[in-house]
Amino acid sequence: MSATDGTPRSTRTAAEEATGRHGLHLPHHEHHEHVPVRTKGARVARWFDARVGGARIGRGALKKIFPNHWSFLLGEVALYSFLVLIITGIYLTFFYDANTDITTYQGSYVPLQGQEMSNAFASGLAISFDVRAGLFVRQVHHWSALVFLGAIALHLARVFFTGAFRRPREVNWVIGCSLMLMALGNGFAGYSLLDDQLSGTGLRIAYSVLISIPFIGPWLASLVFGGNFPGEDIIGRLFVIHILVLPVIIGILITVHLTILIKHKHTHFPGKGARDDNVVGERLWPTYTFKAAGLFFIVAAILGLLGGLAQINPVWIYGPFKPENVSSASQPDWYMGWLEGSLRLMPNWETRIGWFTIPNQFYSGVLVAGVAFGIMYAWPWIEARVTKDREEHHVLDRPRDRPWRTAIGAAALTWFTVLGFAGSDDVLAVAFGLSVNALVWTFRIGLFVVPLIVGVITYKLCQELRDRDGPFVDPLLLEGSSGPNGNGSATNGSDGSEGSSGGDDAPDLDLDPDPEHATRR
Amino acid sequence: MADEPESTDPSAEGLVPTGTTGHHHDEHEEPGDGGSPRLRQTGGETLPVVAFLLAMVGAVAFVINYIAGNNTQIFGVAVFFMVGGIGVGLVAWAKRYMTPAEPDVEPRGRIASTEEEIAEFKADFDVGEYELERRSLLTKLLVGAATAMGLAALIPLKSLGPSPNESFKVTPWTNGKRLVDEQGNPVRATSVNTNGVITVFPEGDIGDEFSQTLLIGLQPGRLVPVEGREDWTPENLAAFSKVCTHVGCPVGLFEANTGQLLCPCHQSTFDVYAACEPTFGPAATPLPQLPLGIDEEGFVVALGDFSSPPGPGFWNQRQP
Amino acid sequence: MRHPPPSSSRWSLVAVATVLAVTGLVLVLRGPADPVDALPAPGSSAAAPAGEGDESPMPEPDSPPGTSPEDLFEQGRELYLTSCVSCHGVGGVGTADGPSLAAAGEASAAFYLRTGRMPLAAPSRQPPEKPVAYDDAEIVALVAYVGTLCDTSSNPCPPIPDIDPSAGSIQEGNELFLANCAACHNSAGIGGALSRGRHGPSLQQVQAQQVGEAMRTGPGDMPQFGPDVFNDQQVNSIVRYVEYLREPESPGGASLGYAGPVAEGFVALLIGLGAMVLAIRWITREREPSDG
Repeated sequence: MSATDGTPRSTRTAAEEATGRHGLHLPHHEHHEHVPVRTKGARVARWFDARVGGARIGRGALKKIFPNHWSFLLGEVALYSFLVLIITGIYLTFFYDANTDITTYQGSYVPLQGQEMSNAFASGLAISFDVRAGLFVRQVHHWSALVFLGAIALHLARVFFTGAFRRPREVNWVIGCSLMLMALGNGFAGYSLLDDQLSGTGLRIAYSVLISIPFIGPWLASLVFGGNFPGEDIIGRLFVIHILVLPVIIGILITVHLTILIKHKHTHFPGKGARDDNVVGERLWPTYTFKAAGLFFIVAAILGLLGGLAQINPVWIYGPFKPENVSSASQPDWYMGWLEGSLRLMPNWETRIGWFTIPNQFYSGVLVAGVAFGIMYAWPWIEARVTKDREEHHVLDRPRDRPWRTAIGAAALTWFTVLGFAGSDDVLAVAFGLSVNALVWTFRIGLFVVPLIVGVITYKLCQELRDRDGPFVDPLLLEGSSGPNGNGSATNGSDGSEGSSGGDDAPDLDLDPDPEHATRR
Repeated sequence: MADEPESTDPSAEGLVPTGTTGHHHDEHEEPGDGGSPRLRQTGGETLPVVAFLLAMVGAVAFVINYIAGNNTQIFGVAVFFMVGGIGVGLVAWAKRYMTPAEPDVEPRGRIASTEEEIAEFKADFDVGEYELERRSLLTKLLVGAATAMGLAALIPLKSLGPSPNESFKVTPWTNGKRLVDEQGNPVRATSVNTNGVITVFPEGDIGDEFSQTLLIGLQPGRLVPVEGREDWTPENLAAFSKVCTHVGCPVGLFEANTGQLLCPCHQSTFDVYAACEPTFGPAATPLPQLPLGIDEEGFVVALGDFSSPPGPGFWNQRQP
Repeated sequence: MRHPPPSSSRWSLVAVATVLAVTGLVLVLRGPADPVDALPAPGSSAAAPAGEGDESPMPEPDSPPGTSPEDLFEQGRELYLTSCVSCHGVGGVGTADGPSLAAAGEASAAFYLRTGRMPLAAPSRQPPEKPVAYDDAEIVALVAYVGTLCDTSSNPCPPIPDIDPSAGSIQEGNELFLANCAACHNSAGIGGALSRGRHGPSLQQVQAQQVGEAMRTGPGDMPQFGPDVFNDQQVNSIVRYVEYLREPESPGGASLGYAGPVAEGFVALLIGLGAMVLAIRWITREREPSDG
């Protein structure tokens, strides 16, 4: 009765045919049933099975194999942070008011009493001071957003450095990049909902970057904001985007992302007999289920601890948004820091042809972001074109075995990090007693020099690690030994695909031109 | 009905028998053999037991704090134990009792369809494709109709906002309009001391983002007037747009000694005594200047709109 | 089997160490950091000046009982000639090293002296706060003297303001502070960066009286907020709010220095995400069997 490749079967099991009764199976020693009919759990399970055929659908699922490496859980950390965001977010929507009409504050935070502010800001104060556990939930929500994006970034880095974006996973890479952008946008929308001075300043900057797009800029900004800045509509629209539009899109994309992952099965590192045509790891049930569920609770616990012990986004200090006010040390949340740094470091270049203008913030805002994310999205195809490798890969690269890719990735991460620090230059200036002007120049130069240095050092490190340790040898795949599936070659992962389905022999994927460092067979 | 016998089927891959006779306490039981993964014990129960107990304590603490305390820090610690205890317990349980001796392996299977499957699909699809090819006029008209519908359906998006108009360049400042502070009081020329700075708006438009203006008391004799603006600064008063020409933050930082306006967002710096020319940072254009006069009652008034449209640039900002 | 670290990682360490060393060197050598120990001891003798500058009629300072204005004036002048004349010149006319005091006035002198910004050992772009060099009686005397150097015909010469935070409204102060002060001092008063190494100082530990004096005199690059810009009630309100900022309500927990999203980013990534990385390493670490 065990199906192997989806051949169609009758809708009634042989046992049902035998007993003539739908859904009730009498004990029959020929059928090797292990689940006695009598227990309550078994009866409930059968009730569902008769209606959705769960056992048949889930039959192989319990045995699915998940490779056991810590870096494979980064995506799950992101997913569980997202779940915490949903749970805490739903709670917050019961108390938040997206209305920007002006009200006089009557709540319990004394310094703001009697002041005029929007209902949105007042509801944020109410959550923080007058709703029991409101501040706790609000802080967990905001910390979760920061960690959510950090986990996405780490997960993206892991996928990049191990080459997990290669065929057949290019589509999942594109979905993943889109998830990151959606999360970024949703975070920006979320912290702008409170209509406080700090996030309102950020909205003004976003508006100005929008209008800088040639020809359609002012028109687009007017559509988004409902007119000139600030207008009356943006907070309400961001609310809908933040709680409905983007979470639904993110949810759908996550579902597709995981479905593709299930279809492809997870990649695995070389070792323990891992090859391109198998998966080595732990079973879904019970091992991986318990570990994954445990991870969710641990992630939630850490976020809960942060939400209780560390204050975040104290909007009562920032005050309600007024377009003529501003504070020094105004930064966006960390994941927008690279954009902030780009805006600060760009020299005051502007393009003028007659009266036609391409303003400065188009280059530092729109163009920089567009090029950076464009390269990120296109990377699987860029690399495939350069390496001419179009084979399927399920065994991961060790980062050291792809020195070029690893060095480029390290340099790119450094570039974003330098921009992030540049975005905090006035805070650094105050903290360390430095001239902010000198810092701007230091970062302008450092933005190109430091990634270059990091890239070169990374490249050298990769080469030396490979020289020191040699190519990876999996003893389970040594020629002649009986590995899990019999055959295979000794070296794995460092020289390209093995036994991939349906392809020609892959060319040597070693990108390093130096013959001294060529892999040894 | 008789109780289920324990399995002796080697294809039952290592399932620990459950049911009325089976129970979980004997951790050393190794069911079946012949290539099946075995779950082995690699540690004691202390950690998961303590973890689950701490989780219960945390839950109680959470509830008590909600009822009697409302202390955010206690909520955090309580949740940490309440939720983390469950997590640690689950993981420790998995690590200690659900780890097989050997890693499990399964074949990866094929992702791409076989040639036969593709041929079958093509054959099924060709039944309809023939129709599409044959009725090329209908196909083209269908595409045309769908495109028209798609474009037409997008047009209600235009209701989201007005087309950009003069308000992107022109402010409420006109000849004779009084400068008022944020409380709405008109400003007397004598009120602004040297090195003083006030944020002002056109009378009747307090809080208008686009027309917010800085009124500054200049140090006598230091200003280098721009050609054509010699009459714009009576009584050593000067007014400039407060909206930074970079990305629009209010340029609230007036360095009285050095005579500079510094935007705190991205450090664009403007020289007040040289018509707010940008001297550092990403801003490429000067802050527009507002021509000032003083009316018969001694209040400061504008003599017209700004010297150029305030705020960040856009593609046709300078279109005449 | 332990492997020796590859030479690249050693070179990386050298590079990082070099960068840190250069950074440390730059921080040590940067800008005008004025050491405190170069101050002359108050009361030590100095060369008597050849002549005095123009001295306006003596003001009425807050004097301890039994001290006449003439005594204060003399005491102040002596102190001035000891420590201040080398930079500010005889009669406060100014030198290449220090500005004229013709526009200073009592409030300004009180502000600089009571925050320790003056006396200053060497010219500085922005005199930093330091431990106060004089005791209260000496400051009163100096203030009285320096006040007489102010040219009232062309300058407002603000007197020492009467600051009473309790008479101010914390709500009004909140509103005015965010509108006028936050751009340089930050909405939580942690300070802000000005151009070329100067900064709007932190307000988290300032005295109420000095806040009022600074507002009325506009020291350094700070704008001057005269009585027509803020009346006394408004000044009291702002001062009251600044006092509140010394220890604002922080029900959410650790305030992270009120450094805002910068600090929050570090905590989220290093502590939050870091803890999660430790957790997933624990989850996936393979255990050795403890028994068969």
